[in-house]
Amino acid sequence: MIFNILLLVISILIYLSFGISNFIFILFSILTTFIAAKFLEKKSKKIILAVTIIVNALILIFLKLYGANVFPSLEGLNIIAPIGVSYYTLQVISYLVDVYKGKYKAENNFLYYCLYIMYIPHLFIGPISRYDDMKEQFLKPKTFSISRIYNGGLRIVWGLIKKFVISGRVAIVISTISQDMQNYNGAYALLAMILYSIQLYTDFSGGIDIVMGVSKILGIELKENFDSPYYSQTIKEFWRRWHISLSSWLRDYIYIPLGGSRCSKLRKYFNTMVTFIVSGFWHGANYLLWGVSHGIFVLLGDKIKTKFKWLNRFITFIIVSFLWAFFIWPTTGDSLRMMSSVFTTFNISDLCTNFLNLGLSLADWIVLAVFTIGLFIFDGNTSKIIQKVKTLSPEIKTVIICVGILLVFVFGIYGIGFNVNEFIYSKF
Amino acid sequence: MKARTVIRVILIIIIFILLFVLLNMLLQPKYAETLVEGSMISQYYEEPKDHEVIFIGDCEVYANFSPMVMYEEQGIKAYVRGSSQQLIWQSYQILKETLKYEKPKVVVFNVNSMRYDKSSEKVSEAYNRLTIDKMKWSREKVDIILDSMTEDETFLSYVFPILRYHSRYDKLTSEDFKYLFKRKNNTYNGFLINKNIKGVTALPTKRRLAETKFSDECYSYLDKITKLCKDNDIKLVLIKAPSLYPYWYDEYDEQIRNYAQQNGIDYYNLKNNVEEIGIDYSQDTYDGGLHLNLTGATKLSKFFANLLKQNYDLTDFRGDSVYEEKLKDYKQAIQ
Repeated sequence: MIFNILLLVISILIYLSFGISNFIFILFSILTTFIAAKFLEKKSKKIILAVTIIVNALILIFLKLYGANVFPSLEGLNIIAPIGVSYYTLQVISYLVDVYKGKYKAENNFLYYCLYIMYIPHLFIGPISRYDDMKEQFLKPKTFSISRIYNGGLRIVWGLIKKFVISGRVAIVISTISQDMQNYNGAYALLAMILYSIQLYTDFSGGIDIVMGVSKILGIELKENFDSPYYSQTIKEFWRRWHISLSSWLRDYIYIPLGGSRCSKLRKYFNTMVTFIVSGFWHGANYLLWGVSHGIFVLLGDKIKTKFKWLNRFITFIIVSFLWAFFIWPTTGDSLRMMSSVFTTFNISDLCTNFLNLGLSLADWIVLAVFTIGLFIFDGNTSKIIQKVKTLSPEIKTVIICVGILLVFVFGIYGIGFNVNEFIYSKF
Repeated sequence: MKARTVIRVILIIIIFILLFVLLNMLLQPKYAETLVEGSMISQYYEEPKDHEVIFIGDCEVYANFSPMVMYEEQGIKAYVRGSSQQLIWQSYQILKETLKYEKPKVVVFNVNSMRYDKSSEKVSEAYNRLTIDKMKWSREKVDIILDSMTEDETFLSYVFPILRYHSRYDKLTSEDFKYLFKRKNNTYNGFLINKNIKGVTALPTKRRLAETKFSDECYSYLDKITKLCKDNDIKLVLIKAPSLYPYWYDEYDEQIRNYAQQNGIDYYNLKNNVEEIGIDYSQDTYDGGLHLNLTGATKLSKFFANLLKQNYDLTDFRGDSVYEEKLKDYKQAIQ
């Protein structure tokens, strides 16, 4: 219990350090949903559920629309979305729905509920946890375990390498290309899309690795958020492997309540599209077309699948990369223009001669290539490697951690001009 | 964990720390063959600490005053603790640090930096690094970092240079390995020799400044320097080196003159003595009038040595074996 209180106090203090307005927003969500759940337990009234969900969802929707400049007249208000609002809003909704459905009882202990929402490691970039899973972790007796610290440490170092060595490097190229659409289109745009796939994945999954590692050290096991997504053979499979906690949330609280797949074909298509539109909107009001595009490719499903595993993986990777275009360029129009430029501007020779003017030196490109290949080898053999690492002696684990830290120090992209504190997914 | 495993793990961590230290050293610029201005501050530590005159200030001291010429001329033991774009709060800390090692009779401060306060665009990370990077760790180093850091900088990056210089991993040269454990002395008692000649052909237009009053911030540091010298019974001498550019406005000169008068300090604007010194700006500068070259600095140092000798109670150390050896080296270097 003392450990959990301490964890909550630290979480609140860290969260407060980002400003009191952040705290007011999150406290509102915590209080409204905690109280509503107590009522729901006594009287399973749909109206309480609906009102509480709508109020909390409306805050998120408003902030998303405000962030996309949908309300120019309100610009002067300078509202800054509270950190983690996209994550904790989904968590409070899942809690309410689960209590309403009787999956578990409403929490009596306010501390546990607060800790579920405010648990600082997962508040910024997820994963989006479920209450029953987290409560189980909080109640689990915490004992000192050196192997847990080692495994957590290894996970953190791996996350740091992804974030600082790979993602940071790619970000420089993306920034160079995306800021000059006049000169950097066609082959450059394609390069940016492919590289952005790597940047977003290493930034997000690197962040999640750090969250997982810290949690592991604290004795709290979180659910995995990634499962080698770029090894997917279809877009549907990709969504089972990418941002798993969001996909499963959308499945459980949007797709299935709408009727899921146990209905007419037309209705299933509708449910799928609605789910992906919500997914797009969750990322930001500008990403609706991205959500719709993914929905279409999910519906196309096996129709674009070949007999060859590697070809399927390649096609899926290219589709996903192409669709990340919506995240690279500032507006949907710009993104569509850049996507079409890939087919109209054949400036590959220009790209080859200009390769070293995109912000990275030859050595940087080599470092990037080596670590990215390492990442894909790891992703292709994750379970084998994890099993192997678990059996290593503490000495070898120490060496791996130390070498990893040195690699981050030397090859990481950080320092003046780089904001390393920001994770791409903390902005969604 | 078994005791043997614990020992092995500790050993691995120690090796890791050593490697980390080594990487910090390797990646930090060596300031030995390139960017030699960064090595000046640290060369002082290896010197015998028996100077009677210490110079503090920016490039106008290390380029214009040659202590070895002053020794040859009047037997003065002097050292120039100057550095590129040394700002007044840095000069103050460097003086404080110097006084921990020795008590000179005279401190000469070049007042050019009075025009730059902490909001000035002249405050830059690059220049900060040249002054601070190679300083020995002390209270003064901590203060100089805290006083000088720009918004983007972090204190930790001075403690662990790898945080700032890690991107040099692909720019390492033989200099970085050659001077990993050793230093190269590039100056002669803090004087940086430059034999090039680039005479004055044209100077930028002298614009009227909107603000010519020195900031309270700069005055507060000048007060600190004055107090530090008084407390230590050291004669403070303010000078303005005879650089033609950046312009030393009459308003600047008047303020320093007033300050010197009010505080009983001597002030010499050496630009007023150019003829007497014999400076020929077509021959005696290496960058069109900003700094003097070897011939110009030699003339100025002779003049200033005589001025110091006449006005301050300085010892004639001529014949000192260490300095005779230094003089021999210096003469060889200026050939």
